[in-house]
Amino acid sequence: MRLHILSPDSSQVTAPVRGIVQRVFPLLLVMLMNTATGQAQQVATDTGPEKQTMQALLERIERLETEDKELRERVAQLEKNQHGVAPDLTSSSTAHPEIVPETPADQEREAAAESVGDNKTLLTMRGFGDFSFHGSNQKGTTTAFSLGQIDFFISSNISDRFRLVTDLVFEKGVGNDYDEDLERVLFEYRYNNYLKLAFGRDQTAIGYYNLAFRHSSWFQTPIGRPFLFQFEDEGGILPGHIVGASASGEIPSGILGLHYIAEVGNGRAGTPGAEPVQNFVDENTQKAVDLNVFSRPDAAPGLQIGFSGYHALISSPNSVKVGETDLNTYVVLDRSRFEWLNEGLLIRHTPQGLSHVFNTAGFYTQISEKFGSFKPYFRYQYVNAPNNEPIFFPVYNVSVGLQEGPSVGVRYDFGESVAVKLQYDYDYLRRQQVISQQSINQLALQFSFAF
Amino acid sequence: MRRIHTHYFLLATAFFLLWPPNNFLLVTAGSAVVPLATHQPLAIIVNRSNPIENLSSAELRKIFLGERYRWENGHRVTVTMLDPGFPERESMLRFVYRMTESEYRDHFLKGTYTGDIPVSPKTLSSPETLRKFVFNAPGAIGYLRRSDVDGSVKVVSIDGHFPGDLEYKLLIEGPNE
Repeated sequence: MRLHILSPDSSQVTAPVRGIVQRVFPLLLVMLMNTATGQAQQVATDTGPEKQTMQALLERIERLETEDKELRERVAQLEKNQHGVAPDLTSSSTAHPEIVPETPADQEREAAAESVGDNKTLLTMRGFGDFSFHGSNQKGTTTAFSLGQIDFFISSNISDRFRLVTDLVFEKGVGNDYDEDLERVLFEYRYNNYLKLAFGRDQTAIGYYNLAFRHSSWFQTPIGRPFLFQFEDEGGILPGHIVGASASGEIPSGILGLHYIAEVGNGRAGTPGAEPVQNFVDENTQKAVDLNVFSRPDAAPGLQIGFSGYHALISSPNSVKVGETDLNTYVVLDRSRFEWLNEGLLIRHTPQGLSHVFNTAGFYTQISEKFGSFKPYFRYQYVNAPNNEPIFFPVYNVSVGLQEGPSVGVRYDFGESVAVKLQYDYDYLRRQQVISQQSINQLALQFSFAF
Repeated sequence: MRRIHTHYFLLATAFFLLWPPNNFLLVTAGSAVVPLATHQPLAIIVNRSNPIENLSSAELRKIFLGERYRWENGHRVTVTMLDPGFPERESMLRFVYRMTESEYRDHFLKGTYTGDIPVSPKTLSSPETLRKFVFNAPGAIGYLRRSDVDGSVKVVSIDGHFPGDLEYKLLIEGPNE
């Protein structure tokens, strides 16, 4: 009854205002009726006390109307402050949220997460870097501060299915200078859970470490990568990057959680002194192929067991072509607080026309557990290359021979984006082309950060 | 005498019906033992157009970890999370992610960096906003207190159990609201 008295839109008025109106207007009605009665009586009698009463009621009506107006304005102002827009008291509320009336913050987040309209894509950028102080007893070296890699990871979700990712890395270059490398430029197309196609330059899917940590020291627990997985321009022995195309995804396998990565691309260069990654041309037409199959079983979260095989032909104008086959197997348990990485690798170099095969075998194991902000770790690595190995030293000037030894250290996380690592390494060396020492002790302190 | 026995019987019956009080009932949720009265079920919700009816615990974890890209109906999976500080989020981190806040951030930072995860979860500021988002986004999945769920979204059973079932293990820590 009272709602009809108020207005036709009274059911659409916001709750606070409705409350005010419902309280005030019946009172006004009663007062008006009293006033009318009073006026009638005034005509009839026009006595002094009744006139005073009428006057008081009129004043009260006026005061209530003023208060009502002020309250309405105040409610409107509060709602404006809360939502950033003036409330439309005449709009209807719906039982179902047909249109998402999110807060401005949510709308901004949504806009940030999605691409933003015509002719615009959204770039997101994160950075990773490190800075270290290290010293060793290796002859010819000095204790020094070193700038590490500064990795700018830039990605853009171009559309629902397309994504562009890049790793722009500033790292040690020729001499004592910096150099910049576009370590990853990848155009991805995700069809579904079972197929993702990618084109461009990427880390080669050999084993686990190369893809899991890429160029970020922030995600790595220890200082530095295992020797087996050093990058080509840092004395590595594997083809760490590939330029080509890849397909990856899940393999329908139920609780086994099988995945695959298949790649085809330019193998590494065979010309001594040349850039190992063949970004623009290839020295031969036989493409490198790589297959990595791994399982992430449902029953053991964090467990990953895999195998990979890579084959390419290394050729140069002035030497025989050498076939390369890299076989890798790994068992990894990577959980939030516990990490146990194990990888074994066999690199086979087969010069064409020769029956001899040069096998280089290696492995590393790394274990760490987090206790609060501290994460102590241990790594042991081993690699053994044969004498007269035709690729490592002759082409890439990397002395391998026999190397093995432990690394122990601790990582301490300062908050969310800064960590300090202290690490001791012992390297046992044999059959080295460059270093005459039989062992090297090294101590290093590294600040690693994400930004 | 008979009347006294009858009273004792009624009192005893009432005692056994009401005892143990709810706040002493214990259920296991993941590896934790938690009292029921201070907990209520956390419902996993999807858009009503999503044909999915049930998820295993392992599938649920994979989805929220960002390891699933598309639903069976072709829609892109969009994981929604509430802002840090909500008890619902803390329960998800504990029982589904099994991570702390910082580990959660690291997981998605690393996942997007390595390419395993195409998009991080959307973070929304309130249960109401999350419910409306799931209502509007065909591929969205999120979580709400059972009391916050309405007919605009669809509740998915976990390992065959719905919120409120005794076997349902996804509970919110903290006081009921």
